[in-house]
Amino acid sequence: MTKILILAEVKGAEIKKPSLELLSQAKRANLEADVLLIGNRVREQANTLSSHGAGVIYLAEDPSLELYHTLTYTALVEDASHQNQYSQIWLTASELGRDLTPRIAARLDAGAITDVTGFEDGDKWIAQRPAMSSKVIQHCSFKQQGMQVISFRAGVFETLADSELENRTAEIKELALPKTDLRAIVKGLVKESGGAIDLAEANIVVSVGRGASGPEGIELVRPLADLLGAAFGASRAVCDAGWMPHNCQVGQTGKVVAPDVYFAFGISGAIQHLAGMNGSKTIIAINQDTEAPIFKVADYGIVGDLFKVVPVLIEEIKKIKNPSAT
Amino acid sequence: MNIIVLLKQVVDVELNIRVKDGELNEEGLNYVISSWDETAIEAALQFKEALDGDGEVTLISIGPERAEKSLRKGLAIGADKAIHILDSAFDGSDSFAYAKGLSKILKQQGPYDVILAGKQAQDTDAGLTASMLAEFLDLPQVTNISQADKVEANQLTLQRKGDHGNEVIELSLPAVITVSDSFAEPRLASLRAIMQAKKKPLATFSLADLDIDPNLIGDAGSKTTVERWSEPEARQAGEKFEGDEVETAKQVLDLLVNETKIFATLSN
Repeated sequence: MTKILILAEVKGAEIKKPSLELLSQAKRANLEADVLLIGNRVREQANTLSSHGAGVIYLAEDPSLELYHTLTYTALVEDASHQNQYSQIWLTASELGRDLTPRIAARLDAGAITDVTGFEDGDKWIAQRPAMSSKVIQHCSFKQQGMQVISFRAGVFETLADSELENRTAEIKELALPKTDLRAIVKGLVKESGGAIDLAEANIVVSVGRGASGPEGIELVRPLADLLGAAFGASRAVCDAGWMPHNCQVGQTGKVVAPDVYFAFGISGAIQHLAGMNGSKTIIAINQDTEAPIFKVADYGIVGDLFKVVPVLIEEIKKIKNPSAT
Repeated sequence: MNIIVLLKQVVDVELNIRVKDGELNEEGLNYVISSWDETAIEAALQFKEALDGDGEVTLISIGPERAEKSLRKGLAIGADKAIHILDSAFDGSDSFAYAKGLSKILKQQGPYDVILAGKQAQDTDAGLTASMLAEFLDLPQVTNISQADKVEANQLTLQRKGDHGNEVIELSLPAVITVSDSFAEPRLASLRAIMQAKKKPLATFSLADLDIDPNLIGDAGSKTTVERWSEPEARQAGEKFEGDEVETAKQVLDLLVNETKIFATLSN
């Protein structure tokens, strides 16, 4: 039977949703999945993993594991992978996953396929993944049996419904802490003041681009995001200019989002940005340039000045929210 | 500081890319340096400059004949020398096989202090080769760097874009580093630099010149294979509204209210 090892990522005191998506998928596909849980004060999260179907939970818990470290995590995955006969290791294509996937694969003499957005499960297991800034889809397979390392994009699978959760306790096996490789020392984290609403999980995303012209433009659009209960994102240009923190960047090398509604204010639509939001259900673009590439993918386009459009939208939305107040 | 920069020549993905019968249609396509690798060249030059220009920046590319053009461009941007690995034995290599081949090549080159690469190649977007190479060479790695806080002869302090913010890492050399596009805008090559690049050393090696077991590269050395390519479903452009913003904003909002459920919940 195919046994999978899944790396669970944590944020604060919770297992990240994309990790639960992987575990849920394993359960639905009737695959035996064990989970590797690494971090500081994460033991309680074993319950969530158990209810989502984890077989065995390998636990590596220590204050020194709070921040990601390539070689430490690689050693832990290697250790866990030797505890049983696993045919695949699954990770999320997060920044952590992007760094760790190739290192583990090379460590285990395994192939790796990254950023998987779908697959066909016929005679051969064939993964689909976006390439060339999502202009094409690559269909890839592993050549021989032997360890296979796969990273999946967040949001590809659904998490289990509450009714599908189990009331059980998975076995916990503690792993020894690897010796720290001092050639790379993680000094700390420069935490960014991201928005309260997670870009990757929001139903509505409001994004700003260079057309905002600067911090004043950003602050003009922000209330609209708040009004809509939307996550607030930005193009790479805005983040590189320092107008918004880097963790707000929507794009191929930032966050890939697929909300129900995506507003793009003053964003021209470079392919790397499109690759990060093209999966949105409804796209509304506002840009002064009628030739802007974003209009090719927008369901609704407004050719105009966002400094004029935004106040109107805010006023009209306030009316919708509070018909009695007007 | 001796720096190796891995360079990949790729199809210009800004162009219209078509797939025909499961294969990429390369007719009429242009080839360029993968943009993140250009950023890697820029990073290499900045590191070298931080140490008063002491050392050399060497480009290495595995690719067909046309890759030489991109190596010359890299030299024009400012690298000191280039190595072109030209051999059809590498055809059909996946990232694993490229990394294996490069590890053998680099063991024969050197010494080096830093191996720099773009975080991913613009054609595959796989992001595997450099980190696999780091493992094969038993080197520490920092990927996706957005800035370098300190550059010293045997240590760098780098910031990488992580999931929760920027991770600050002190990295001992030798090491492998990959760059994010946020690191810096690559400098442009002046016309003069382009002319001078023609005289910079560019060596071409085939498998016969290198001590590499052909079973480690190409299709034989690969762990994965691309079965086929396809085009994603194209999004159709919708309605475009021009004119007085007060009108168009209201028009679009009206349409949205009637279209999407999200707006229905707003009026609660």
